[in-house]
Order: sequence, then structure tokens, then C-alpha cells
Amino acid sequence: MDEAIPAWRQVSGATLKTCAEKMMPAVRTIGILFFALAAGCAGVKETPPSVIAQSGPLIVDPSLIGRNQDGAAAPEPPRAEAIQEAVALAPPPAGPRQPVVTGDNAIGNEPVAGAPAPPSKSQSVAKAAPPPAKAPAKISASPAAIEQPRKKEDPPPVVKKLEPPLDVAALKARLRDTNAIGVFTKLALKNQVDDLLKQFRAHYVSGQKTSVAALRQPYDMLVLKVLALVQDSDPSLARTISGSREAIWSILADPEKFNSVV
Amino acid sequence: MIARARASALIFSLAALFAGPSPAAEDVTLLKDLTSVIMLLGLPCGQVVSAKRQADNDHIASCKNGNRYRVFVNAEGRVVAQKQ
Repeated sequence: MDEAIPAWRQVSGATLKTCAEKMMPAVRTIGILFFALAAGCAGVKETPPSVIAQSGPLIVDPSLIGRNQDGAAAPEPPRAEAIQEAVALAPPPAGPRQPVVTGDNAIGNEPVAGAPAPPSKSQSVAKAAPPPAKAPAKISASPAAIEQPRKKEDPPPVVKKLEPPLDVAALKARLRDTNAIGVFTKLALKNQVDDLLKQFRAHYVSGQKTSVAALRQPYDMLVLKVLALVQDSDPSLARTISGSREAIWSILADPEKFNSVV
Repeated sequence: MIARARASALIFSLAALFAGPSPAAEDVTLLKDLTSVIMLLGLPCGQVVSAKRQADNDHIASCKNGNRYRVFVNAEGRVVAQKQ
């Protein structure tokens, strides 16, 4: 019996070892799968707040609107329809602001800034009103979106200050040397430029007291024609011409500058 | 062996035949130029599809819409497009 036990142990140990050896690849596979799953979950990002807001109206349960119109859900914080009723019947609550759009719109169904999240009675209610964690995220994002255009409005004066001075001769040379337009086109353009300059000269020679604003339109048309011809094949030249547009006009519109240049 | 030599000779001769600047590229440039000129002069054309050279700086341009223009430089040095 004493000999039998070690023998059994040997046998059982051998069996266990064999089992463990057999299990190892399976454990490894499961481990790899779990790792891959965890990595995949780590890669998932939250959808942006705007997407959440857009998906809101699609989930709204129409029966919920009917319930709100009845005014049965009294303990709920003000929602779009509830606020409408409150406006009609009683003075509005001081804390939350009213949504701009009412009805099935996403803005109307979302909780407003600073308002507590509505306690969900059913799943449809929970879907209609997003959880409180998402609402502040959207609210915090929206001021940034509003402030962005304000930030973009400031830089242009700086850009205008850094604009290099107009070099008419260099611009003329670039137009002459560019391969973007053919010989016939260059000649036709030169003819039209000469015609426009003649009009300016005639205007200044005649001594008209009216401004040269009437010549602004043909000037703009000519610049647009040049840009249309050049922009595909020589974009840098097109940018230069486009950037010099006002500078060239300032020369043309001033009789002294015009006479000095032309 | 003889067939291979013949084939290679044919390939080389064809390559020699088509080597060098293709006139089609020049044609494309000219057609584009004529299209730009006609557009610049404010005439209806759309796109010049073919051009026939008559003299230096004198071409007959056929447009996609069926119009034909004689594009030339006159004595005063102006580019003119005359409808034919």
C-alpha cells in the first residue's frame, strides 16, 4: 500500500503534468485573446458631443411627449415641452435657461446648462435625456466653438501688416515669363491692360471730379480673368496677383501714383 | 531566333519612329492658348477642339459648340478673333 501511493502519485503527477502541458496553449490563446480584446477596448474613443446631440431626436419616444403635454410628470426638471407649459402658466424658473428650439429638436430635449439631470423613469426617458456626464461635455465644448470665430477675426490685420510691398516690375516679369498662359493669351491680356490704362488716363486727363470707382468693375474683371488663366498652372503667381489686387488699385486710383508708374 | 531578331528590329524601328517631342503636345498647348484667347475676348466657344494654321500667328480654331474663329494678330499688334 505504501508503495502503491507513491506509484499513484507518480501516475497522477504525470497526468497532471500532461494536462498542464496540454492546457498551456489554450491558456496562452485565451490570454492573447483577452489582451487583444483589452487593446481593442482601449482604442475605442468616445463619440464627439455633436454626434450625441444629433442622435438624440431619433430616439425620442412620441408617447413621452404626450405625457409631458398632459403635465403628469411634475417632479421632472424642466424639459422643452415642460418649459413651454411653465412659460404659459407660471413665471419661468430662474436657474435654467430656455431652449431655443422646441418640439422634437435635439436642443429642446437636452438638459440645459446647470440644470440637474432628469431622473429617468423609463428607458425611453433615459434615451431622450442624455446622462448628466455627457451634457456638461457638450456645454463645455460649445463655448469653445463660439469663441473660435472670434479668435480667427483678429489675425488679418497682422497679415496685412506683414504683406510685402508691391513690385510692379517683378510682377510684370513673372507674367511675361510664366508658362501658364500661351503667347496669344499674353498678347490679348496685354491689349486689355493697355485699354484699361487708357481709360484711366482719359479719366485723369479729362479732369473729371467724379471718382474712379466706375473703373473698378473693369479692373476687377480683368484681374479675375488673369487669375482664371493662371491659377491652375501657376498658383504662386495667382496668389501674388490676388494679394496685390488692392495695392495695384491704390496706384491706379491715385492720379499722382498713376502718373509716376505709367 | 530569326523571329526574335525580327521582332526586336521592329520594336527598335518603332521606338525610333515615335521618339522625340510629339506634335500632339504642341497641339494641346496651342488649343489651350486659343481657347483662352477666345474666352478672354468674350466669345462663345467652350473649348477649341482643333486648329488649322494659316500663317504665323494666324489660326482657324474650331470650337466644341461648332463655332469657328479666325484668331490672328492684326497690324496694330492686337489679338483678334473673327467669327467665320
